[in-house]
Amino acid sequence: MFRFLGRRLLQMGFLFIIFLTIVWFLLQLMPGDITDTLIGDPSIPLSTRLELGERLGLNQPLYLQYWTYITNFFKGEMGVSFSRYPQDVSTILWEAIPRTLVLVLTATLLAYWMGFKSGKLIAWGRGGKTEQGFIVGGIFLQTVFYPWFAIVMLWTFGFFFGWFPIGRFIDVGLWQGSGLDATSVFVQLVFSSFIAVMVYAGARWFIKRTAGRLITQQRLERVAAAIVLIGLVAYWYFNPARTYVADIVWHTVLPVLTLGLVTFGAVMLITRTSMLETLGEDYILTARAKGLPKQAIRDRHAARNALLPVVTSFILAMGTVIGGAIITEQIFSWPGMGLLFLQGIIVSDIPLVTGALAITGVLTLFAHLVVDVVYTFLDPRIRIS
Amino acid sequence: MATKETTHRSDTDPSHEDDGAVVFDELVRGGDVRSEPLWRIRLRLFRRSFAKNWGLYRESKMGIVGLVIIAFFGVMAVAHPILLSTVWDPVVYDPVSGYDAVVNEFTIVEDGAVVDELSEIELTQARFDLNPMVSVGDVVRIPVQPAPPSFEGENVHVLGTDPQGRDIFSQLLYGARAAFLLGFVAAFTTVFIATTVGSVAAYYGGRIDGFLMRTADLILLMPLLPLLIVMSAVVQINMVMLGIMIGVLLGFGGDAIVLKSQALSIKVKAYIDAARVAGGGDRHIIFRHIVPNVVPLSLLYMMFGVTTAIALEATLSFLGLLNIQMSWGIMINKASTEGYLLSGTSYWWLLFPAGLAVSFLAFGFFVVGRGMDEVINPRLRAR
Amino acid sequence: MTLSLEDLQARRVDRNQPLLEVDDLVMHYRIKAGEVSAVDNLSFTIHQGEAVGLVGESGCGKTSAALSLLRLLPANAEYLSGQVRLNGEDLLQLSEEAMRKRRWKEIAMVFQGAMNSWNPVYRVGDQIREVLDTHFRGQMDIEEQTAHIERLFAAVGLPREMVDRFPHEFSGGMRQRAVIAMALACSPGLIIADEPTTALDVIVQDQILRELKRIQTEMGMSILYISHDIAVIAEVTDSLGVMYAGKLVEYGPTAEVFARPRHPYAYLLLRSTPSITGPRRQLAPLAGEPPDLLNPPSGCRFHPRCPFATEQCSVEEPPLAEISGGHRVACWNYEDVPELEAELVR
Repeated sequence: MFRFLGRRLLQMGFLFIIFLTIVWFLLQLMPGDITDTLIGDPSIPLSTRLELGERLGLNQPLYLQYWTYITNFFKGEMGVSFSRYPQDVSTILWEAIPRTLVLVLTATLLAYWMGFKSGKLIAWGRGGKTEQGFIVGGIFLQTVFYPWFAIVMLWTFGFFFGWFPIGRFIDVGLWQGSGLDATSVFVQLVFSSFIAVMVYAGARWFIKRTAGRLITQQRLERVAAAIVLIGLVAYWYFNPARTYVADIVWHTVLPVLTLGLVTFGAVMLITRTSMLETLGEDYILTARAKGLPKQAIRDRHAARNALLPVVTSFILAMGTVIGGAIITEQIFSWPGMGLLFLQGIIVSDIPLVTGALAITGVLTLFAHLVVDVVYTFLDPRIRIS
Repeated sequence: MATKETTHRSDTDPSHEDDGAVVFDELVRGGDVRSEPLWRIRLRLFRRSFAKNWGLYRESKMGIVGLVIIAFFGVMAVAHPILLSTVWDPVVYDPVSGYDAVVNEFTIVEDGAVVDELSEIELTQARFDLNPMVSVGDVVRIPVQPAPPSFEGENVHVLGTDPQGRDIFSQLLYGARAAFLLGFVAAFTTVFIATTVGSVAAYYGGRIDGFLMRTADLILLMPLLPLLIVMSAVVQINMVMLGIMIGVLLGFGGDAIVLKSQALSIKVKAYIDAARVAGGGDRHIIFRHIVPNVVPLSLLYMMFGVTTAIALEATLSFLGLLNIQMSWGIMINKASTEGYLLSGTSYWWLLFPAGLAVSFLAFGFFVVGRGMDEVINPRLRAR
Repeated sequence: MTLSLEDLQARRVDRNQPLLEVDDLVMHYRIKAGEVSAVDNLSFTIHQGEAVGLVGESGCGKTSAALSLLRLLPANAEYLSGQVRLNGEDLLQLSEEAMRKRRWKEIAMVFQGAMNSWNPVYRVGDQIREVLDTHFRGQMDIEEQTAHIERLFAAVGLPREMVDRFPHEFSGGMRQRAVIAMALACSPGLIIADEPTTALDVIVQDQILRELKRIQTEMGMSILYISHDIAVIAEVTDSLGVMYAGKLVEYGPTAEVFARPRHPYAYLLLRSTPSITGPRRQLAPLAGEPPDLLNPPSGCRFHPRCPFATEQCSVEEPPLAEISGGHRVACWNYEDVPELEAELVR
């Protein structure tokens, strides 16, 4: 197992370097550098601009700049932002990464969970009008023009109904004078949610080990979920920062929902297809002949095998999700990496864009690895012995 | 004694893999070898399998709906140049440079003294919005743009005008043209690249295969939208270029891998060996035998590729990153940059027609792709 | 309660008592083009401890018949009439839940291509444990279950260590044996074996058949063999039935049917393989193809291909009538069949 991990990490590292190289050289083709931002101000003499350029190493030959970048990258330094001079890229990105991660992860996990469940149930059912409706709905969600969809969602739920705020991360007026830093509160929130999820996962594992029948298991799982949820809410309820936390949560709902819905459609369709294929397998007929209860056949035998292609599909879906995240952040003014990336492109802030892409690459490769490991756990046929 | 049929044409195989045997059979039937040109036989077989596949395709309701949608937009695309050269006056209706706006006259009055909002405007506002030099009593002319749909007057604007006074309906039809152009370029490029790469990789195997597949993996790794965004900052991208770029990325990415498997399954068939024994060179075998059998599958992926291309172009245009003058994405972009994005229902014609158009056309191509999928994979058919 | 194979061996078997009575079963599949008559007026009885065989070409309805007994048919199948009585109780009248409880426990099935009967993501032992959990809930604890599964493995000749392995770690023949072990798990009264030896090499085939025979006689179980391989069936069964186009055309004690087939189709089928021993005989070919069951032929379904067909055959369906002790034939002209025998044997 560890040898496998080690080998994969090496592979990933190699791929990442190629990726970073391509990205870096590609971005160097973008017109402009930091001195351009200073051109607008006539009081800054040419000599200053040239000096700045030299200080930042922009006069050096390209391959030298590349080498400097690579070596610095692995030290955690990604250069200085052109548009937010003199802030350095790592600091800027460090703040934005958790926000994007929360957006993407929550949306994706929710979408896969609900999408798999619905797809499974639809494929299992005998067809009819509901199935047709869901299929059309799923295709609609998958093909709808995403920016337009996001705008409509924002307008409907934020403006028209007024249930959610119209974009942004926090209500700045609310936070002024509170003495709290939005990012640290946010990180706390994320951390506590993560703990809650771990506790729940642990509870489920424990239940599976001990309880007997499928139905008792499910009931216990629901109880555990309720307890964990109540616990989490209670924890924050009695926390003095609770209005601020609520504010953050309030702002998170709509973007996550929008990104999640679109992914949900795609996952549901893939699951349905996979389930239909699995249901045609011989071992399903055997399961029926064995006199197993319907739910056991559907969940333990069919869905469990249908899960495999769905998990694999996530690798391909990731590219789309990343694109979706960028658009979501743009429309909801969600201050994450995607927004920084777009803004950076518009003002030709090469280091910022390079940094954002590099981090995206790292996270993507990491996600690949996770999926591979998960798949190995799911499919004993490819387990490394 | 002629045998009935030398091969069993199974329903699960709409490809032409059994054609060789059937061709032979047809030639021999009747007792003598007829000298019919091969292309004529091929055409007949093609028509027959096409008819059968069409029959299967027809069973899927959604596939038909998809075709209807595509046809609908196709009509739109074709109608545009016709309308522009006949019924429409280009000065008014050109999607990019046309202009038409109802001009309303407003009399400037003292602040707070507005009696009739439709004909009077406050001094401060007039000075701020229009001209700092105006004074009370002046008459200013303000064009109404964007204007809601209007059916009276000398110029009919079915869907109103945009913030620059251009006819929305004309823009919508033009957008269909642009979308189809993009779609064709992207589709053709995808099919071409994917088929070639897949077939070559499958045929030669070994190092070439390894290299091509590694490259494909690398391309798969890159998220499409960010990459195109970066490209747009590096070069000015127009419609055709975008189509080619998307085609290359999609074709070389996932599609090539799938097509390679398909090509592999063809490669191991007996008639390939026969062709080689008969003296066929590499290129001949690849292009005459493998490629024709791989193309049907690639057509399927082409449909999904067009869906992606349309959505990508619209997204990039919406972000204002492309070097094109008019498309559905540009329409929404205009609405956004002029500040009408969250206007909701008050300026609906700026947002909804374009957005729905992109969604529906993408939906249409996607559903056609699914319909074709059901023909190729019988397990997905109605139970 | 602990199940043990020894308990089962003590099972009292009364060979005259019917275990499963199939009474005039009629079933069809509904497809877009119409209705496909898959099983028509099927009637036979399996007694306790008896091994019955069902032979016929592909598509003659034998697998459909087997699936109907357990009500495992796909959604577009419809039962039109008839009864399937297990120990006197009509299975077709039971609720789905009641039927589910009887599946595997009373009647188990070994499918065609049993290698694929295994779910690839779970261990073989766990999949057998599943049936024990389902049908003997709370009556066996984990250790007892494990012990039982190990005994089953031993009974079919599989090593104990393989119990916790995954299906892909078994060879084809081993998977087949494992399926038989699983079928025995609840010690059912009847096992239906559909093509139990197809896709296996001859040596393994032989072993499997011997195992089944041994288990059957030792444990007093009834078996219904379904196959298109007559040689296989003839060796291991007590009674033999021949099916054609959804109908049972001949039925009787195996030795009798084999030695003196009286239905033209049965005759041609059973005489289509040459024998090394026995008299030299010309091979009798069977012309034509099985009929389209969407529109089956009128009268006797075999009449278009039958060398003895008369006017009556195309109009009236012959009933399955007894001609001698236990030997039944559905043919108007069965008496003419021995002529063919004389002609072919030179």
